[in-house]
Amino acid sequence: MKRFILVGAGVVVLGTIVFLLLPQGEQTDSSTTRLRFVSLAWQEQALATNRAIVAEWNAAHPELPVEYVQGTWNSVHDYLITGFETGDVPDVFHYESSVIVDFAMRGFLTDLAPMIEPEMRDDILDVAWASVRRPDGAICGIPFLMESFIGLYDVDALSAAGITPPTFERPWTWEEFRSVARRLTVDTTEDGTVDRWGAAIGLRNSANIVMNLSIGFGGSFFRKVDGQYVVRAGIEERELLSTIHTMLYADRSIAPSSVGQSGPAMIPGFFQRRYAMLIGIGAWGRQQLVENAPRDFRWGVIPPLKARTQDIGTSTQTLSIPKASKRTAEAMAFIRFMLSKENMARLALSDWMLPARASCLEQAEFNDPATGWDVTTASARFLKTGTWTGAPGYVEWKSRVANPVLQEFFSGRLSLDEATARIEEESNVVLSRYQEDGR
Amino acid sequence: MKTRTFIADLLTHAGLILFMIFLVFPLVWMIATSFRPTAEIYSGTVALLPESPSLDHYRTIFLEQKIFTSMGNSFIVGICSTLIAVLIALPGAYALARYSTRWNNVVLGWILGSQIFPVILVMIPLYILLRSMALTDSLIGLTLVYVVWALPFVLWMLHGYVRTVPLDIEEAAAIDGASRSQIIFRIVAPLLLPAIGASVLFAFVSAWNEFFFALVLMKDPNLMTLQVELARFTGMEGQARTGPLAAASVLATVPSVVLFGFLQKWFSSGLIAGAVKN
Repeated sequence: MKRFILVGAGVVVLGTIVFLLLPQGEQTDSSTTRLRFVSLAWQEQALATNRAIVAEWNAAHPELPVEYVQGTWNSVHDYLITGFETGDVPDVFHYESSVIVDFAMRGFLTDLAPMIEPEMRDDILDVAWASVRRPDGAICGIPFLMESFIGLYDVDALSAAGITPPTFERPWTWEEFRSVARRLTVDTTEDGTVDRWGAAIGLRNSANIVMNLSIGFGGSFFRKVDGQYVVRAGIEERELLSTIHTMLYADRSIAPSSVGQSGPAMIPGFFQRRYAMLIGIGAWGRQQLVENAPRDFRWGVIPPLKARTQDIGTSTQTLSIPKASKRTAEAMAFIRFMLSKENMARLALSDWMLPARASCLEQAEFNDPATGWDVTTASARFLKTGTWTGAPGYVEWKSRVANPVLQEFFSGRLSLDEATARIEEESNVVLSRYQEDGR
Repeated sequence: MKTRTFIADLLTHAGLILFMIFLVFPLVWMIATSFRPTAEIYSGTVALLPESPSLDHYRTIFLEQKIFTSMGNSFIVGICSTLIAVLIALPGAYALARYSTRWNNVVLGWILGSQIFPVILVMIPLYILLRSMALTDSLIGLTLVYVVWALPFVLWMLHGYVRTVPLDIEEAAAIDGASRSQIIFRIVAPLLLPAIGASVLFAFVSAWNEFFFALVLMKDPNLMTLQVELARFTGMEGQARTGPLAAASVLATVPSVVLFGFLQKWFSSGLIAGAVKN
């Protein structure tokens, strides 16, 4: 028995060593003939669409096959930075505008402006181009999906309370939204606890929501003073913070669980009718409703709430080419194919996000009321690019300053004055470091 | 007196049962979620067992991702790095424990110090070094990295155990005519089975669960390890495809559990076996 175990173990070890010494993967000539495309699609439909488009490209261009590599949102930053620093980069990669402008500033990306054809330049919305354009006119990525925050409501809850849902002709103001949320907050069992909250908003890592929704109040947070970015939290920036805080603690019309949860994590509670409205959720959240809502659950999309305007901030998802790529022209040809009118529409539909091309938005699929596309698409005209786009250090600022301070504020550990003071003070420490670095 | 002992036993066992539940609950929840249809996951219903169990998530992970390939890759680098690390560490630990020189403490301090380096600091130089030897995008390169990663801790752990083995036993073996290598592998090693078992488990689980090196060093989709594959079920800002992620995580847990089951008897019988060895 002992000998059998020893012989078995020896065979396993020898086999493994032989396997390791064999040529692995397709390393030999793949690096010279294949374009490597790192995609961040991760939902089932989006993955299938990306793979299908790459397969179509490969069938049409056997001389220049594309290798599809599925990256992940949580790790792509480290993956790319290591690649940029060592020169071992993918030829095309998928990421988001707020991050790639930082890469562009550090000289890692190819300027795509000279390679963009007029058809694409004219069709992609200006707001999308604004998210990737550098002050010198360089374009660091081709935008193809636009992030847009939407609000959702439970049709039956509003109907039972005799509340007429808002429309684009008659949108709700934030004051009206507050009032409706109070009316919809009910203790049906009369046991002293709230059984249904008027609203919920995922406030974990809330910087994104706060920044983008504050634009409607005229808030910008990032300003340029003497050519340098500084953060200011003035009256306009404080309005949204104050409104949400009041709804949480004075009105008690926003579910307290909002403070520790992300928007998508609140969807099951929305299905269980624990909240009548869910605001500040990405347009892609509709996918969960269409695919997983209980059969008797009827829902609708709230047009952007009106503060001074109905404007909402946006960022885009992009395809870029690293400067270290040796096949820039070929990579751009692939991007043109990937982001053609037809393919961009397929990508947007499968990811449930707004396409960056105006011609796509006109298609019937993007105006379907049953899936909420009609209101989502109509909201696109309110999308604006925040002043923070292109600010050096914005990504670090968001994770190290804005998110933690806002978390403390919304959980009631800081007053509005304390929170805004800390945001200004700590933000400018981070930003000044980037600006001193000359990046 | 008897009643007091009974109550103490009862409380001890109740505490242990609660602790067991605390430890096992996440595993049970993960297994249950892997069989729960997506609509049921999103319904927010709190139930330990799925209402209508389904294999959809297992089907998804096998059809959509190269789970078996990545498991195979993880298994290969895990086994190889574990074997190499333990085989190097065992004589190294013996030498450090038995041959006293003025450098011993320096070496041990260096080993301990190497553990405090953040991975991100060594990543770029390591990548460049491995690339110069054509070892990026290669399971051999990844295995070497895992050996280097596990070796200091394994060496440290075995060194502590070797010091607990009475020198008299080795001297008796030497009087009986055993050579130095015979003493190490036939006398000391069996006494160290619990430590070797723990080292094997540590080195294997470290390699099996490692993510960042595999992510950065491997480019070919066919050479990805399981942890990199698992991450593909997560999306922006902490979102995840919960069902497929749970199913893949169940599969990822199996080898470590099996290895622990296999090594468990070493933990309990190693020293006894050594003590009675003739």
